[in-house]
Amino acid sequence: SGINAEYVEKCLEILESLVCYTVKDVKCPDEVSPVVKTSVCSKQDGYEDFLAGLITDACMKVMPVQRTFNVDSVRTCKILGAGVLSSTCFRGMVFRRNVESDITCVKDAKIAVFSCPFDIGTTETKGTILIKNAEELKNFSVDEEKLIENQIKDLADAGINCVVSGGKVGDMVLHFANKFNIMVVRLMSKWDLRRVCKSIGATAQPNLVVPTPEEIGFCSKVELDEVGDTTVVVFRQERDETAMSTIVIRGSTDNIMDDIERAIDDGVNSVKIVTRDQRCLPGACATEIELAKQLMQYGEQTAGMEQYAIKKFAEAFEVFPKVLAENTGLKANEVLAKMYNAHQGPEDINYGLNLEADTPEVMDCMERRVLDPFLTKHWGIKFAVNAANTVLVVDQIIMAKQAGGPKPRKGQADPDDE
Amino acid sequence: MAAKMMGPGMGMQPRIILLKEGTDTSQGVPQIISNINACQMVVEAIRTTLGPRGMDKLIVDSKEKVTISNDGATILSLLQIVHPAAKTLVDIARSQDAEVGDGTTTVTMLAGEFMKQAKPYIEDGINPQVIIRSYRKATAFALKKIAELQVTVKKDDPVEQRDLLKKCAATSMCSKLIAFNKDYFSEMVVDAVMCLDTYLPLNMIGIKKVTGGSLTDTQLVKGVAFKKTFSYAGFEMQPKTYKSPKVLCLNIELELKAERDNAECRIDNVKDYQEIVDVEWNILYEKLEKMVQSGAKIILSKLPIGDVATQYFADRDIFCAGRVAQEDLNRTVKACGGTILATVNNVREADMGECELFEEIQIGNERYNKFTGCPKAKTCTLILRGGAEQFIDETERSLHDAIMIVRRAMKNDSVVAGGGAIEMELSKELKSYAKTIHGKEQLLITAYAKALEIIPRQLCDNAGFDATVILNKLRQKHAQGEKWMGMDITSEDVADNFAACVWEPSIVKKNALTAACEACCTILSIDETVKNPNSNYKAPSAMPGM
Repeated sequence: SGINAEYVEKCLEILESLVCYTVKDVKCPDEVSPVVKTSVCSKQDGYEDFLAGLITDACMKVMPVQRTFNVDSVRTCKILGAGVLSSTCFRGMVFRRNVESDITCVKDAKIAVFSCPFDIGTTETKGTILIKNAEELKNFSVDEEKLIENQIKDLADAGINCVVSGGKVGDMVLHFANKFNIMVVRLMSKWDLRRVCKSIGATAQPNLVVPTPEEIGFCSKVELDEVGDTTVVVFRQERDETAMSTIVIRGSTDNIMDDIERAIDDGVNSVKIVTRDQRCLPGACATEIELAKQLMQYGEQTAGMEQYAIKKFAEAFEVFPKVLAENTGLKANEVLAKMYNAHQGPEDINYGLNLEADTPEVMDCMERRVLDPFLTKHWGIKFAVNAANTVLVVDQIIMAKQAGGPKPRKGQADPDDE
Repeated sequence: MAAKMMGPGMGMQPRIILLKEGTDTSQGVPQIISNINACQMVVEAIRTTLGPRGMDKLIVDSKEKVTISNDGATILSLLQIVHPAAKTLVDIARSQDAEVGDGTTTVTMLAGEFMKQAKPYIEDGINPQVIIRSYRKATAFALKKIAELQVTVKKDDPVEQRDLLKKCAATSMCSKLIAFNKDYFSEMVVDAVMCLDTYLPLNMIGIKKVTGGSLTDTQLVKGVAFKKTFSYAGFEMQPKTYKSPKVLCLNIELELKAERDNAECRIDNVKDYQEIVDVEWNILYEKLEKMVQSGAKIILSKLPIGDVATQYFADRDIFCAGRVAQEDLNRTVKACGGTILATVNNVREADMGECELFEEIQIGNERYNKFTGCPKAKTCTLILRGGAEQFIDETERSLHDAIMIVRRAMKNDSVVAGGGAIEMELSKELKSYAKTIHGKEQLLITAYAKALEIIPRQLCDNAGFDATVILNKLRQKHAQGEKWMGMDITSEDVADNFAACVWEPSIVKKNALTAACEACCTILSIDETVKNPNSNYKAPSAMPGM
């Protein structure tokens, strides 16, 4: 019982034959953006052109030459205010933080990153400072200050004009940083620190020493800016191959921004899929109808009871155009009729449902650039079939529930009953 | 939604439990209608605050704190609305406040009206997605129109620019409590914003509140002013007025204290003991000595300044103040120059600030320290006076709105005419645009255009005029091509608002339209609400049927 593995094989075979388009160059935004657009369209109708452009832009900026595309390279930052159409993207990173130092803008920044607090070093072991005479007491804090001053001076001498710290910034240290014109930014999250390191090419130091030239990061501009009502620190990178790009999401409510973030997430994943497998299928239910039609034909040619099963399997694919039509406000039956009509010849596989018309109409997906990635459909079908099989094989459900009978007296609750 | 499981031919259908016990769900068209109705109720609550004749609301919160306000965002956040869809309206008011500062009531009303106009179409069965698409189209068109209609005042002429800013500030204050003194205040607000630097940071304008006096006693200090902080003995002997003093800002505690908390002193004989005690005193004296040597006459510190230090300074005619608030200290540094030091070794000339005059004056019931005539003056302080605390709080909010408006106007200096003029013009343009579109969208864009008329209508209602008569006149005038005709409060009639100097920065309107449309589209696209039983929300039983 269940759906035989053969039918799935046949189905996937047909799917491969329906590939209408292969992305030739994943670095070209025009080729990739239709795929992103289709994915975003179903989440955020109305903003899909704008968002698709934004997402493609962000991904292109971090598309690596050799390695696989990493979705973590595209970050988002949500800032309340304005509207979705004011969202922007650029190379580098944005954090909703304020700078600690007086200096708020550094051009051509050489950045040292510290994962420890940017403060006077303390020992983990509990210790007591032993003072033997009055002279030592007097010189104690002066010496401490001199030590810090020298440390910061060394940093400044190495050319560092910006420090990013993963922990607290001490007052004394900040004072000397201001004196030597070093900008200090504190990041709250360990992950943010790691991403900054990746983005600027720095290595995080675990204690307050001067980093070697390889460990120092570089950034075109680090500055404090105000977007909407929020102050943000922007690490901007102008050179070509960057590790990170950030999309600044604007919106009038938190809900909208969260939703846009999810849509962007989906879009970026679509780009990742396309880099793995460049084949694309026609969207707008063209693939589904074609699958239904071809599987139906295959079913007719099969002998035995399996004929019925295959035909029903094929019919199941019709649910997509039906639901899509109903959601748009069209009549499902008319839509199905029109689509089958359009898919008569072997060359007519690209006809999908045109949602912008008031009456059921078909359109050429290749022309209108409505494409779906191949892997999405491929895995979708596989997983769905697995799930359906799991459920169909079940013939009895046994579930534990509270039994009847007298309730146990309070205070003597048997732990087994909880 | 509910999974259908076929039993193996047995008669009993197992009960299908998909969500937790006590979960509340409602879906479908009635759900959208109920959400729209909830939003209408929110709009009802604040519609009377719009415009120059708008009224204020008095809200007592759970801690029995009384707030009187006219500002839409403040009222909505204090109302503590629990209905999930209506919370979107609170959010957009907040975002309008963050982005622009003013127009929060406008944005809420627009959103509510868009939804109200859409309601009959939803009840008739039009798919909400169609409505959302048409609204977005209409908004895009409206924004384009605003960009065409807006008037840019040239930035290079400072007199003209100042004039423009004053008018914008005055229009913003028109609807608030301080409307009667709006000339006085708009002058002050523009002065305040003009003295900020290019980033126009809001925290560089300090606002201090002192009860007593009247509204017109409010003063703008082109420098810094803050309340006198707690001071130890010896304070009275320090002089209270200085001319051209040097100012030193510190982050050190000037008090006899342990150098290091976990340090231990181990000594061998009694003489050493006395030496150690002496050294502790000497450490403090050395610090004080260094400060005196630097030539500073005024010493401010974030941390406390103890009585020994206070006395020391008093003997040498130096003023000191400890426990100064961080932002006051920041502003002082910004105004007078110098930096906040954490050590007194090597105090350089550049680390100290200077100003022309420092004095400690009595304002109302409090003593204030005032620094004026600062050379780098990139900050200023507003000292608000007034009768009651609530009054002063409301003044602060109104001034905050006006300051935000002026800041926005400085950054992008295009204006449109207020008083409902721009809304009527957009309405007219949208109606003619709608006629060029075929299909259901035509109806919906016309509905959108009609919704825009709510602003002038509400302005009339609040003022007690006959809205129908005035709107008729406005429509006629706009159809004849006079694009800046709007409501005139003083003459109970229509007038050219551009000539009458009722101006608003165009970004207020642009942002309001965008935000209202987004909120409306969000609510229209919800067709099912699922409420988790764990939340403490006690739904009034009438809610689903509203």
